[in-house]
Amino acid sequence: MNETLAHVERILAFAGGIVVLFVAAVALKNDWKAKGLENQVFKMMLALLALGAFLAILASVNVLAGKGVEI
Amino acid sequence: MAVASVTQAGIVGRHHEEPDQLYVETRELRVQGFLLFMVSDLVLFSSFIFAYLYLRNTGQGWPPPGAPKLDLALAAINSVILFGSGATMHFALENWKHEKFMKFAGWMVSTIVLGAMFLSGQIVEYGKLAVGWGSSGIFGAGFFTLTGMHGFHVFCGIIYLTILLLQAAQGKYTFQKYTGLTLGTLYWHFVDVIWVVLFSIFYLI
Amino acid sequence: MAVAAVHSGGIADHIHPEPQGFIRKYVFSIDHKIIGIQYMITAGIFMLLAGALAEMIRAQLMRANGGFMTPDTFNTVFTMHGSTMVWLVIIPLLTGGFGNLVMPVQIGARDVAFPWLNMIAFWIFPVSGLMLYSSFLMGAPAAGWTEYPPMSLQGAPGTSMWCAAIFLVGVGSTMTGMNFLVTILKMRAPGMTFTRMPLFVWGQFVTAPLLMIATTALGAALAALFVQREFGVPFFDPTKGGSPLLWQHMFWFYSHPAVYIMILPAFGMISEIFPTFGRKPIFGYKMIAFSSCAIAILGFMVWAHHMFTSGMAPQLQLPFMVLTMLIAIPTGVKIFSWMATLWGGVLTFSTAMLYSVGFLALFTLGGITGVFLAAVPFDLHAHGTYFIVAHFHYVIAGGSLMGALAGLYFWFPKMTGRMLNETWGKWSFWLYFIGMNGTFLPMHWLGLWGMPRRIAVYDPQFQTWNQIESVFSLVMTAGIILTFVNVLVSMKRGKKSGHNPWDARTLEWQIPSPMPYYNFKHIPSVFATPYDFAEPLPYRGLEEELTDSPPPVPAAH
Repeated sequence: MNETLAHVERILAFAGGIVVLFVAAVALKNDWKAKGLENQVFKMMLALLALGAFLAILASVNVLAGKGVEI
Repeated sequence: MAVASVTQAGIVGRHHEEPDQLYVETRELRVQGFLLFMVSDLVLFSSFIFAYLYLRNTGQGWPPPGAPKLDLALAAINSVILFGSGATMHFALENWKHEKFMKFAGWMVSTIVLGAMFLSGQIVEYGKLAVGWGSSGIFGAGFFTLTGMHGFHVFCGIIYLTILLLQAAQGKYTFQKYTGLTLGTLYWHFVDVIWVVLFSIFYLI
Repeated sequence: MAVAAVHSGGIADHIHPEPQGFIRKYVFSIDHKIIGIQYMITAGIFMLLAGALAEMIRAQLMRANGGFMTPDTFNTVFTMHGSTMVWLVIIPLLTGGFGNLVMPVQIGARDVAFPWLNMIAFWIFPVSGLMLYSSFLMGAPAAGWTEYPPMSLQGAPGTSMWCAAIFLVGVGSTMTGMNFLVTILKMRAPGMTFTRMPLFVWGQFVTAPLLMIATTALGAALAALFVQREFGVPFFDPTKGGSPLLWQHMFWFYSHPAVYIMILPAFGMISEIFPTFGRKPIFGYKMIAFSSCAIAILGFMVWAHHMFTSGMAPQLQLPFMVLTMLIAIPTGVKIFSWMATLWGGVLTFSTAMLYSVGFLALFTLGGITGVFLAAVPFDLHAHGTYFIVAHFHYVIAGGSLMGALAGLYFWFPKMTGRMLNETWGKWSFWLYFIGMNGTFLPMHWLGLWGMPRRIAVYDPQFQTWNQIESVFSLVMTAGIILTFVNVLVSMKRGKKSGHNPWDARTLEWQIPSPMPYYNFKHIPSVFATPYDFAEPLPYRGLEEELTDSPPPVPAAH
């Protein structure tokens, strides 16, 4: 039961991560030319968001797993 | 333009309003002040992150003896939920800029729901760990302090966004003057981005 | 006027209505000038308390075996003296006090960027001060103002109150820092470029990010100490995997920049006072401004020089030692610039000028002993002795506080429209200067001889010098009291000053004293630095400030 749940979680995280990565990348591309202080910050944050999604994808397939986690 | 605003205005009619000089300058002040607030908040997180990494690297190895194992699968799905809420927040502000109130409201609600889902996931994780803040040694000092602080920020963000949504529905912001919504978006992205760091240092290294 | 048209409708023309009633005018005021004075009064009250604590310390040290109070009380007394002077006197006085009073006017603005935030930031300050002193009721903190674990972990319940109070002060400081930074970045008058800003504004401009960043880091350290004491979260407990050294890292990462928070505004003040009383342009304007930036940046990289004796890797000691010594270079640039400013000037030794010259002498001494202490071999010998006490009192009592007193004598006419009594002022200076040197100079050799700091009793061979110090500390206190009396009397009875008694050239002196709530009738435009004494004033649009023309109309809302 517990292993099935973890399996489902991983699949969802993988799929969701790809969606978020895609969306963040597209949003970043659309905003690329925007000017103004807050837009520069938004771009930086979107890039970090994409990075976060990428890390979550890697975690969902166990490519990245820390020392203190249960695999 | 003005006609479009009225049809898309949502609950209360929203008139077209050209930003005046006072608004433009005040907006700059508020955005800059808010960014500085975010910088100081970032320093607060950074200090605790430093403390965690310091304890992690000066002790008797990591994980410390007796520390509970973290659930990577749960954390991964929970992270994706929070990052997803960043994307929906982005759509909310974009739709406001394009003067579409109903779509804005929809994306705001999804952001708030995703935020609440993330918090519930955190609570589930805390329950699974089944150790106390003070009794779990330096594991808890790092993990519970930082994720707790972040969770508190998410909680505040949910309330903040709810207030913004209600204010927007009541017509406090126009499609030309919406500094408050920009600041709310900045805050929510900040909370997301902090989680990228926390997720990495607790689950990935 | 053309000048007014540049800004019409913008924030520069946005004027708050004149406050009505005592409460809105003097208590919950959002006017930066009133808030500045509120900061000064509150800091003054805390300074009296801290001074009383200091005299208690000196009374205890009159005799080698003490006897004035128990060692435990002695610990609480010096802890509270240090905490009060750093967080409740010097920092609020120099940033919230003088920064609020002068900085917005000097950049030609009507107020700070966020007046309400300013008011909240001020009111946090007396509340947290009261919280700090309420810790006396539950057993005051006793581990020194640095509160190193494990002593602070074993301390009385008041130590947690100390954490909470200092955390709150820090929240207020952070708000002030953000507010000032945005104000200086965004609200300067037309033509006031960065290289035309008065140097006091430069001082505040460099201090503001330090306040914002360093204070937040301290907040994290205090929160960690608080949760360890109250909930047992073992950040600093080595038996559970924590580390007492972690506190020292977190604390000094704040507290070393805090030293610059305490001195950079004072640098700015005397950079205003020297040209004014020397009737000469400031020497090396850009060097003074940019060396402040260098000090601020280096200040974040040197915190571990406080920890040479706490056990650190030798390969880390060298970079921290070198970086610390590097700070002497921008500081030296400043000191030589000030000396070159005075050189060949037509000097008027008013009280403000006396205090500034005293600052220059004593701060230089304190700075030089700072370079001594940066050297690891010397620090290993002098750490934890009275040499340290001598060093930082020369910097803080001889530097920051002298600067603040110079600023008080300089800007008091601007606050009240009346002069402080110059004769009393000069007496206060000489009493303070002689008392300060008599109190702290002997501590240098006492420290080198090995007298440890923070101990209630000491070896009898040091008794003579300690008695001399205690006597001189009374002289120093007399100087401070005389200034307090001078302020109280001159507020009502001082002779009228007019708008510009010192013939100074920065913007605040071009408007009436005390300053009206709207500051300027028309926002001036600026076309040069304020320090060219041979030239006419570098402002346009100030013609009506001193006339009877009606005040500007508040924005309608």
